[in-house]
Amino acid sequence: MEIIKINIDNQQVQVPKGTTILKAAEIAGIEIPNLCFHKRLNPNSVCRVCVVEVKGESSLVSSCSYTIEKELTIYTDNERVKTARKLVLELIMSTHPNDCLLCENNGSCKLQDYAYQYEVEVFKFTRERPKYNIDKSNPFIIRDYNKCILCGRCVSICHQEQCSDIINYTHRGFDTKVSTYFDRGLEESSCAFCGQCVSVCPTGALSEKVAKGKARSWELKKVNTICPYCGCGCSIDLNVKDNQVIKVTSPENESINNGNLCVKGRFGFDFINHPERLKSPLLKDKNGNFKEISWHEAITTIASKLREIKDNYGSNAIAGLSSAKCTNEENYVFQKFMRAAIGTNNIDHCARL
Amino acid sequence: MTTKLNSTNELKNLRKKIKSSFVSKKIQITICGGTGCNAFGSKGVITSFLNEIRKRKIEDRVEILKVGCYGFCENGPIVVIKPQNIFYRHVAFEDVSEIISKTILKEEIIDRLLYIDPISGKKYTFYQDIPFFNKQKRLLLKNNPQADLIQINSYLALDGYTALEKVLDNLSPEKVINEIKEAKLCGRGGAGFPTGLKWEYCSQSYSLKKYLVCNADEGDPGAFMNRSILEGNPHLVLEGIIITAYAIGADEGYIYVRGEYPFAVEYIKAAISQAESLGLLGNNILGSNFSFSIKVKEGVGSFVCGEETALISSIEGKRGMPRVKPPYPTSKGLWEKPTVVNNVETLANVPFIINEGSEEYQNKGLNNSSGTKILAVSGRICNGGLIEVPLGTSIRYVIYDICGGLPKGRSLKAVQIGGPSGGYILPKDLDIPLDFQSLQKKGAMLGSGILSVMDETSCIVDSSLSFLDFLKDELCGQCAPCRIGIKRLHEILTKITMGEGKEEDINLLFEISNTLKDTSLCNLGKTASLPLLSALDNFLEEFKEHILYKKCKAHVCDELYTAPCSDTCPVNIEVHGYVALIAQERFMEALELIKEKNPFPSICGRVCHHPCEVRCRRREIDEAMALRALKRFVADHEIELEKKSLKPIITKHRPEQIAIIGAGPSGLAAAYHLARRGYKVTIFEALETPGGMLAVAIPDYRLPKRILRYEIEDIERLGVKIKTNTMIGKDISFSEIRANSQAVYIAIGATINSELNIPGEESKGVSPAISFLKDMNLGNKLTLGNKVAVIGGGNVAIDAARSSLRLGASEVTIVYRRAKDDMPAIHEEIIDAEEEGIKILTLTAPNKIVSDNGQVKGLECLQIELSNFFDKSGRRIPNPIPDSEFILDVDMIIPAVGQKIDSSFLKDELVLTKKGTIQINSNTGETSLPGVFAGGDAASGPATVVEAIASGNIAAISIDKYLNDGKESREVVSTGKQTILEEEPATYRRHVMPTLGKKERLTGFKEVELGFTKKMAIDEARRCLRCHEKE
Repeated sequence: MEIIKINIDNQQVQVPKGTTILKAAEIAGIEIPNLCFHKRLNPNSVCRVCVVEVKGESSLVSSCSYTIEKELTIYTDNERVKTARKLVLELIMSTHPNDCLLCENNGSCKLQDYAYQYEVEVFKFTRERPKYNIDKSNPFIIRDYNKCILCGRCVSICHQEQCSDIINYTHRGFDTKVSTYFDRGLEESSCAFCGQCVSVCPTGALSEKVAKGKARSWELKKVNTICPYCGCGCSIDLNVKDNQVIKVTSPENESINNGNLCVKGRFGFDFINHPERLKSPLLKDKNGNFKEISWHEAITTIASKLREIKDNYGSNAIAGLSSAKCTNEENYVFQKFMRAAIGTNNIDHCARL
Repeated sequence: MTTKLNSTNELKNLRKKIKSSFVSKKIQITICGGTGCNAFGSKGVITSFLNEIRKRKIEDRVEILKVGCYGFCENGPIVVIKPQNIFYRHVAFEDVSEIISKTILKEEIIDRLLYIDPISGKKYTFYQDIPFFNKQKRLLLKNNPQADLIQINSYLALDGYTALEKVLDNLSPEKVINEIKEAKLCGRGGAGFPTGLKWEYCSQSYSLKKYLVCNADEGDPGAFMNRSILEGNPHLVLEGIIITAYAIGADEGYIYVRGEYPFAVEYIKAAISQAESLGLLGNNILGSNFSFSIKVKEGVGSFVCGEETALISSIEGKRGMPRVKPPYPTSKGLWEKPTVVNNVETLANVPFIINEGSEEYQNKGLNNSSGTKILAVSGRICNGGLIEVPLGTSIRYVIYDICGGLPKGRSLKAVQIGGPSGGYILPKDLDIPLDFQSLQKKGAMLGSGILSVMDETSCIVDSSLSFLDFLKDELCGQCAPCRIGIKRLHEILTKITMGEGKEEDINLLFEISNTLKDTSLCNLGKTASLPLLSALDNFLEEFKEHILYKKCKAHVCDELYTAPCSDTCPVNIEVHGYVALIAQERFMEALELIKEKNPFPSICGRVCHHPCEVRCRRREIDEAMALRALKRFVADHEIELEKKSLKPIITKHRPEQIAIIGAGPSGLAAAYHLARRGYKVTIFEALETPGGMLAVAIPDYRLPKRILRYEIEDIERLGVKIKTNTMIGKDISFSEIRANSQAVYIAIGATINSELNIPGEESKGVSPAISFLKDMNLGNKLTLGNKVAVIGGGNVAIDAARSSLRLGASEVTIVYRRAKDDMPAIHEEIIDAEEEGIKILTLTAPNKIVSDNGQVKGLECLQIELSNFFDKSGRRIPNPIPDSEFILDVDMIIPAVGQKIDSSFLKDELVLTKKGTIQINSNTGETSLPGVFAGGDAASGPATVVEAIASGNIAAISIDKYLNDGKESREVVSTGKQTILEEEPATYRRHVMPTLGKKERLTGFKEVELGFTKKMAIDEARRCLRCHEKE
């Protein structure tokens, strides 16, 4: 691999040919602000916040997409860059509702952070902006396009990662909006509600409906675990407050799924604190009504019934079906039980359905 | 014909065959089938011709051809009759039968269908004589009107596809690329990137699959050169495309055409299928190893799809949004394959370069540019349309020589070049060459080649806004600075045009514009703010006028003007108001309204240079309103009825004494307004009679003395005292005047004749105009020559000339160094002078006065040539032609080349300017001494009557404020608002001022203009368009 020497903010750095300036800066320990870039996605280069000055280029370039092909001198934070970046942020903020107090993303919003960092004048321009109704029509995702900065990450992830193309840009000019075909609700589209779009939204435009109003971002504790739903073994973070799971996210790391999740992994956790969740065993009486019994009674009943079947019809007359709503440990123990204690391989799991 | 050709030789043979049968012995009637002419109804004209020919059974002698665009669209439908090339314009189907029976059958020319040059007024019969055409150098558009080139046979007959032949026979792809590189062909779509280099990049990109895309998504507002080529000569483009594909190694291509160009789409599709059936497209073209096929993709009306990467996305079926560059399309383009995207015009140049060679192509350009460029010229221009000139031609040549300049009386404000991504070029920069680099240095851009000519009625703020208005709806919306920045710029500019702008907005405009330029993703955004930045650079004052004074001098921004006439009037008379009152026969009210601002309606009704009429919008339809005549009518009406003026409106008598030095129009106007505010005013006048220049310089036939006397008496009736024969410094000292008054207004005029500064000026028989006119007007003794030369082009010169004639001179000649259009005198005066027999020698400058024994014997003159450089006034600088001396046989010379101020008595008291005028604050009239104000010619240098009155008005208000704690003591009354006219504006033309017969005129000093009758005045007033009533 060809190695190229560059000078970035007066630091000499060596990077492989084809590295983007953003990545090179990261290697040099320099953080370049950016809104639309996401490491899981191809650069969109549309927020223009990550612009830097490359000596010899007539205008500023977007560091997320500009690849280093030859020796370069780069300034990521000189006056020209800072002025431009600040104004771009001010322009973006001029179309933003600026209601951080009420926003789900308060405290975990890049736009908010940069606005603070660059001391953005929020009322520099008129604040005229398109007004959209907040779409709460589907069970999973709240879509508030008033907060959308049109970074295009949701569009990219829907296209590149999910190959779904449910959403894209519609209209032109200032009225450009991310939307489904004919701007119908997501539930009317072929959306599978994987929530990938929510996971990459840098502002509060897309948020999890289930978490609405339940916790501020800084109150959440992330508990890392593996998604129980299928054999993929996706890494997930349970976002917990007061011992309650508020929402599920996924860490963007070296894990198998690298931040991607499906609808079940991301949204299928409502059973945990569901009031109708079974907490003790039930036995059906002769009239067909369930009756609460003790664990001892339950285990004894099941053991005697299983033994009866096994003795009369053999081990293979028994099959076990376990649930994704159990922990992996519980599932492991269950299959061990089926094979070792019952003596059958008739064991399956709902995730295979 | 549909058999495929399998070698270049077969093509050669076919061409030979077509050529031999192509020479027509018939009379050809060619009719333009371009979109412009089509819109004017050329289709109907063609049908009528076909019917008529059939009806008269002359098909064997006459044939009808639909040809490509002439680029002279506003004259459409255009019909040219060959072989003589008789050029008819605006031909309607009703004219067809007459054309056949007269022109075709009897060879008679139909006069009314001929083209009249708007500048010279000359009629042209033949196509090749029309300056608009013969001053162009057409390379690409040359064949457009020659034949019906939608037929491949016609194209072949005009040596079409010879370049392709040459390429396939002899040239390797590398050689083709080299030829294009050496030709220095640059992309004609706007950016001007070297085409050869682009091809080379693509050909060097490793890929088995490559594409060629022809960009015909011509979207710049006002550009239609691509359409014209595609409609007029589609095979030319196709030949260029095939050669390009061969050079870069592409086997597939797309032509991306605007869906709004239905004819272009139809014709190019037809051309493709013709070429396919001959084997010029498809597999193994002309039997070679080279295969290439092409598809047409119709755009759906998005401007941004003209950007090459957005266009590529659009072909791929995606939303047309630009992609980040790099990677450039030459390495990763259509479907990620190396792709060349070239503009129609660029590709159309290719066959010529291959046929004639790169050197010949370079020679077609000027000033280090090569080739030609098609330009679309529009706006305030005599001959708008499509023109083709060598790249590097000066803007001046395009505007003035080819397009005939601006319509009469209009002065150039700027040329907008490059449309929504271009900038404004000022008149002083007209000599820069039209090429990619030179324009960029001036903040403009050649772009696709749109030139929009703007005059004083174009508002720069509005123009900048209109581009943003277009872009805000056309931008793709993905990148933040462009999407939001343009919106915010648009909002700020809209606010400014509504009169709600703030001073800090200018900084905001700069800030956003610069960021837009520096950070946008694609060139649409990067260049979007260029028109605005160029406007701010060149016309910052105009922006400030909009913001600070809430004035739009171009009268475009609705909220920022009342009516063009009223706003233009130096004394701000509510012109639209008095016109409406006259139309309603409310003459006294009209007069009251005029006298609110101007104490001299009768005088100004006769001698004003009427800037109001120059800006009258009725001019756009036929002729300006006769505003000066209307003003005179109401004033005369009052005098005739002896109503003895209006009741003096004196608000409150005040004790303050005000002294005014000079009883000219400025001093008298100031006195009038001050007296009406109750001040005691005394005017000191050096001469024996009041009136200043009105009394001594203007002859009776223009301004009868009784009129002057009447209006001055009117002012005296307000209590103003006029002390004549009182010269400051002689009869009374300046300090005495100051001591006896609370405020002083100096309006001493500019009364000293400027010198000619040529030898012999001291000779007997040289009599400077002002002295001459003064002696005449005051009844002093005059010695008049027999043959008189007056030197100068202003009103004083004309007055002196016409007076000489009346006093008995047998021959009077005016000598003026510039062109007649440049003469500062009132246009009507020049016409009257010529009617009376005065000769006007223009482009002539005096060089020496020839005398014999100190007596004038003649005037030696030099001929003048106007240079290509303009002075501050926007007029060409005159240069004498060496050895062009000639002698004018005269015995009297009247120099009338301006006046100077005699400020000797003020030298030690006031600060003067370098020119010797009194230095004042032009907004208030204040001088360097507190309580002393100045105005009129003494402060401004020689100017007009109405400007002198205006400065008197300003001084009066300032003095009032000075004596009244900074406030005005009286508010101006407006009555014009209550005069809404209900009926529609009258459609007839302007009334002509009745004048005295020529014979009667020259017998004495009787007034020449006779004034309107009551009926004429009322009718004329009804012509008003009422620009002040805005919806």
